[in-house]
Amino acid sequence: MKKFYLMLVLLVGMAVLAACSSGDEEASGGSSEGSSSVDTITAWAWDPAFNIAALEKAKEAYSGDGDFEVNIIENAQDDIIQKLNTGLSSGTTKGMPNIVLIEDYRAQSFLQAYPDAFHPLTDVINSNDFADYKIATTSFDGEQYGLPFDSGVAGLYVRTDYLEEAGYTPEDLTNITWDEYIEIGKKVKEATGKNMLTLDPNDLGQIRMMIQTNGSWYVDEDGSTPNLAGNESLEKAFETYKKMMDADIGKIVSDWSQFVGAFNSGDVASVPTGNWITPSIKQAADQSGKWAVVPMPRLDMEGAVNASNLGGSSWYILNVDGKEQAADFMLNTFGSNVDLYQTLVKDIGALGTYSAAAEGDAYAVEDEFFGGQQLLSDLSSWTDEIPGVNYGLHTYAIEDILVTGMQDYLNGTELKTVLENVQGQAEAQLK
Amino acid sequence: MKNLKSIFIYTFLSLAAIVSIFPFLWMLVSITNKSVDVTQGRLIPGTHLIENMKTLFATVDIVPALMNSAIIAIITTILTLLLASLAGYGFEIHRSKGKDIVFNILLLSMMIPFAAIMVPLYRMFGSISDTAPFLGIDSLGAVILPTATTAFFIFFFRQNTKMFPKDLVEAGRIDGLSEIGVFFRIYMPTMKTTYAAAAIISFMNSWNNYLWPLVILQSPEKRTIPLLISNLGSSYAPDYGVIMSAIVIATLPTALVFFLMQKHFVAGMMGSVKG
Amino acid sequence: MSQQSTKKGELDLPVSLRYKETRREKNGVFFRKKVGWLFVIISVIAITIFNFYPMVQAFLLSFQSGMGGNLEYVGFNNWQRLFGDPTFIAALTNTSIYLLIQVPLMIVLALFFSVLLNDPKLKFRGFFRIAIFLPCVTSLVAYSVIFKYLFGIDGIINQFLLNFGFISQTINFLADPFWAKVVIILAITWRWTGYNMIFYLAALQNVDKSIYEAARIDGANAFQQFFQITVPMLKPIILFTSITSTIGTLQIFDEIVNITNGGPGNATISISQYIYNLSFEYTPDFGYASTVSYVIVILVVILSIIQFRVAGEKK
Repeated sequence: MKKFYLMLVLLVGMAVLAACSSGDEEASGGSSEGSSSVDTITAWAWDPAFNIAALEKAKEAYSGDGDFEVNIIENAQDDIIQKLNTGLSSGTTKGMPNIVLIEDYRAQSFLQAYPDAFHPLTDVINSNDFADYKIATTSFDGEQYGLPFDSGVAGLYVRTDYLEEAGYTPEDLTNITWDEYIEIGKKVKEATGKNMLTLDPNDLGQIRMMIQTNGSWYVDEDGSTPNLAGNESLEKAFETYKKMMDADIGKIVSDWSQFVGAFNSGDVASVPTGNWITPSIKQAADQSGKWAVVPMPRLDMEGAVNASNLGGSSWYILNVDGKEQAADFMLNTFGSNVDLYQTLVKDIGALGTYSAAAEGDAYAVEDEFFGGQQLLSDLSSWTDEIPGVNYGLHTYAIEDILVTGMQDYLNGTELKTVLENVQGQAEAQLK
Repeated sequence: MKNLKSIFIYTFLSLAAIVSIFPFLWMLVSITNKSVDVTQGRLIPGTHLIENMKTLFATVDIVPALMNSAIIAIITTILTLLLASLAGYGFEIHRSKGKDIVFNILLLSMMIPFAAIMVPLYRMFGSISDTAPFLGIDSLGAVILPTATTAFFIFFFRQNTKMFPKDLVEAGRIDGLSEIGVFFRIYMPTMKTTYAAAAIISFMNSWNNYLWPLVILQSPEKRTIPLLISNLGSSYAPDYGVIMSAIVIATLPTALVFFLMQKHFVAGMMGSVKG
Repeated sequence: MSQQSTKKGELDLPVSLRYKETRREKNGVFFRKKVGWLFVIISVIAITIFNFYPMVQAFLLSFQSGMGGNLEYVGFNNWQRLFGDPTFIAALTNTSIYLLIQVPLMIVLALFFSVLLNDPKLKFRGFFRIAIFLPCVTSLVAYSVIFKYLFGIDGIINQFLLNFGFISQTINFLADPFWAKVVIILAITWRWTGYNMIFYLAALQNVDKSIYEAARIDGANAFQQFFQITVPMLKPIILFTSITSTIGTLQIFDEIVNITNGGPGNATISISQYIYNLSFEYTPDFGYASTVSYVIVILVVILSIIQFRVAGEKK
């Protein structure tokens, strides 16, 4: 028993000592943060291989006359959302960053839920310098808040070897409709036994990409009224999704790791998704030279185009001490620096939406993994064609309702009834 | 008959053990595999162990995170054990109507989901950040305080105290011990196994706690292990081999604490004490 | 209780000391009553600050609604809204199903394991104990991956069932509303049985061994010993684990998010996941999220009162 007490005392002592020493550090750090002129601005982002790396490059490239340190902090995306919501709704600006990266689908939620929390950039950057489709989601109430960052431009990643086996070339899949895609998918499955794509019934990113090819979204242009019942693009997308299921060309997956696993192990012949998947595709080094990327299939409707988007994010500046410095930093890096974008493409493979940057040499580089395709320049030209939509407030809330609707539809309920149901549910829930 | 019974028991326990250990073993196997193999659920050990470890230690500061988690878990556990056992003892041994009411009210506090009280709690710590930075946002103190006293453990100690022979208290008083003396000299040593169980659970809860440390801690150098692992999975192309390596390292301390503490679960404390 | 034992102690005293003791005893009882509060006061204060104060704020929030920081009082609107909210109703139904099936199953299993693993004659006792305990420290990421593979269309479970002729066609466990719930229940049970076992194992050490010996001499078999000695002796701990497991299951979150993410549709969504979605996944409405949280509180209070009653502890 004595030994036990001795250990207890030792442990307490150690722990208290450690806590005190870290407490002291905190105290000194805290006081410098509290003063109004900041000498450190903090930035939050989530992917060390991508947007964190981009911030590092920006920090190196910063040429403005501000005298401050940039402290880049990595947090998982979900973690950022939780931290921001908790901090902003508690009304405490303590611990909040100066710069934060927010996914475009969520931007309007943050801008409207915390109206005074963000610093407008209307007079700082020129919104015409960026891809058009980014502007609606990054601005609110006539003010530009976000500095558009990465392009979520979608592409159809295809396995050229499987296509060849079925008698197709990537050209045959270029600028096609989803219906044509399904037909090809059936042939490919016949010839190779491989599924054409993965489908995750709990993640309707596929539907989002489809309807955006026709400039449509889950909500009206006001960004909040649900637009589900009678939305022809959505009807078409649902029908197409069911056709894929019925044609049995989709491998069902239930999460991200299975999704990645499916194409890494060569189980599917194509991956229709955002261009940020490139590093994951390249992870399977043995598949080098067997891939190509073609434009996204479009909905078989008047006005639909072969360009869409999935994900993508933009920078925001919080209305806390140091906001002018943060704005200066952003203007002189992501807001105007063409060379920085060249570096981003060359070193990280990050595709921005700053239009002037696309002219540079770095975009023209040929990618051996994709059989020598000038992938970045292709993606970048498709970016310009993405129909702009206001993602509005409720993308994920409506999607959760839609997932249930999709289940009903796949199980045989009439499409009209399904969409009327989900419309009713969405209206009830999103008051 | 006897043999049949023990065959049945061993078969049953072995099956249960296999089912229980399988995912853990897979975790151990996964740290030797490439990300591509992990996502395909490969069950055979690979040769990527050293690679994964190298990447892990090169990309994240896992040692400081382990230290932070250890400091927080140890302080939290010691505070919890002390305060909760004092209270559980007080509520049962010094039982009174008033205390019973207070106890029932305390139980209410463990019924609300933490997410619901997080924002007010954050505001509270935000407001003391300037006057007491060591307890404010981004301090280890703020992580520990709300988790160190929970009705859960008070309830646990009280229920166990119901099995504690009250005669011992009286005997202690007769021996001239003060009330607090009875607690420290008689109750604590007698309830060793209860403390061991509480230590396991408290350590584990604190070690794995995610939501509160996530919102209250800001500086990367103060991060705990679960936060660090959450970061590892956040990139668009997560490396599952590396993630699994971090997870295995993060799991070992709790398994170790359990292993050390469960040794106290032997023989009865009273009556026929066997070695 | 303490009064009784005081008297008993008094009787045990040598006669010569009795007279002196009675005077001191009077002060002593009074002092002892006060000193009892000293034992509990720190915890009471701390829980008041760190739990009850925010709980009151959350309660006030449950009468407000709005996006993020723009909250306004809406009276009982949120409470009315609950009844017309299909997602909430689905979450409540699912959570109740988990609770009704999973908690009793787990408590019985945990009790059973702890009795087996308490036998000093059992070989490899340490190994079995740690094996059964391991699931609650195995990372969720790892075990959700494993569960998804085990229960996948071409997973081990399907192959096993096919090979032994239990089924003629593979079951897509995670895409079927019924089977997905079954998988969740198995997952929760798998993860938390070892956790509850710890409480029982510890408590069993406090049971006087001589009672068992007496019972054995009286010819009681293992089952009789279990039901007539172990269960009654462990009643306070069984009550503790059933209340805390009720709370745990009503607040279940991790397993669901990681294994099915509430799907298919919202066939497995839990109340806590819905609270999380309302607070962080959707445009945040902390007011309505608080209302949903208080539904959990109300449910737990009712169920706890019932459990206390059943256990025969006076309230």
